[in-house]
Amino acid sequence: MAEIVLAYCASHAPMMSSARMAAPEEQRNHFFGALDHIREEAVARGVEACVVLSNEHYTNFFLENFPQICIGLGEKNWGPTEEWLPIDKVWVPGHAGLANHIAQYTLNSGFDPAFSHQLELDHGIMTVYYELDHDMKIPLVPIVQNCAVPPLVPVRRAYEFGKALGDAIRSYQGLQRVAIIGAGGLSHWIGNPRVGDIAEDFDRWFLERLTRGELDQVLDIPDSELELAGNGAHEIRSWVAVAGAVEPIRARTLAYEPVYPWITGMAVAEWETLPERDQTSATVGAQETRREESLT
Amino acid sequence: MSWYQMHRCVYDWVRAGEVNSAEGGDGRAGFDVSQYELTDDERKAFDNRDIAAFYTLGLHEVLINRYARAAGFARDDYRKILAPFGEKEERKGRWQK
Repeated sequence: MAEIVLAYCASHAPMMSSARMAAPEEQRNHFFGALDHIREEAVARGVEACVVLSNEHYTNFFLENFPQICIGLGEKNWGPTEEWLPIDKVWVPGHAGLANHIAQYTLNSGFDPAFSHQLELDHGIMTVYYELDHDMKIPLVPIVQNCAVPPLVPVRRAYEFGKALGDAIRSYQGLQRVAIIGAGGLSHWIGNPRVGDIAEDFDRWFLERLTRGELDQVLDIPDSELELAGNGAHEIRSWVAVAGAVEPIRARTLAYEPVYPWITGMAVAEWETLPERDQTSATVGAQETRREESLT
Repeated sequence: MSWYQMHRCVYDWVRAGEVNSAEGGDGRAGFDVSQYELTDDERKAFDNRDIAAFYTLGLHEVLINRYARAAGFARDDYRKILAPFGEKEERKGRWQK
């Protein structure tokens, strides 16, 4: 059976790639430092494949047919779509076995995800995936959700889907070590008069709910209220899905920076699914600290 | 007015200039807007690259964002264009109480 050995979420503002240096140095170092830590953990934990939840930006679907959830079943997917995004355009390997298992399992669990045998991956997935694996070789199962075009999948429904997704991954027999990743959010506005604003109070409130494991207030939030933190705030669906997949584990915020040049509240949070490893890391960290102290 | 036709037109124009799978190229140069059933206002907005008009006509904000970038508007520029349409928000979110 597969184990979820890494679970985290990160914001996916395209400017983190296309205008990386526009962010103040301290904010940039803090945000990318968290992603560097994640990348090192992925190597240390031997991640064999990753499942990445993001949202549709009119990249694969349009108004004729707009699925609430779509699972990428293909052996490969193409990305990034945006010609201006400075990430190499590549065929990203998929994992058809895991993806089909997730589709079947979630269907059997009362969900009706759409599927695609070839998705185009935009910045929503590619920015975060690239930071996980600069070589873009780790097999990736993309899942895109509707976080933009009403009616939207309710936030609680995204969480419940995440729970089924977590169970699906853990019941898959073809792999042993899988990462689950949510990409998007936190607060931001696009395409309207408030573009450039960031709702820092919302971002901090949301992260606190995740770290306390107090999600009810988040899951019951209606779209009209969530919209007060920006039309991009709907992307927290990816975050709550990951929270559902690994419940009852609580999140730990690794970074939060309101990066105004990137017009987004940029955060990274992880859920420690391997507590024994966390303990080992803590022990090693303490030893290193003691070693450093003894040298001074 | 056809909300769908306006969206389809703008979307197709944006996509015509994007990398699509392994194929490259910019199809925007020969884009045929006449194949869409647009009202005069919608056609005028498209011909004039008028972001403010698209906003008031109800173009989806994700599409406005993509259109603006594709049409060469810097974000600060399109923010200034849309700023006059901003309305003071009186409501509060639960995180503000």
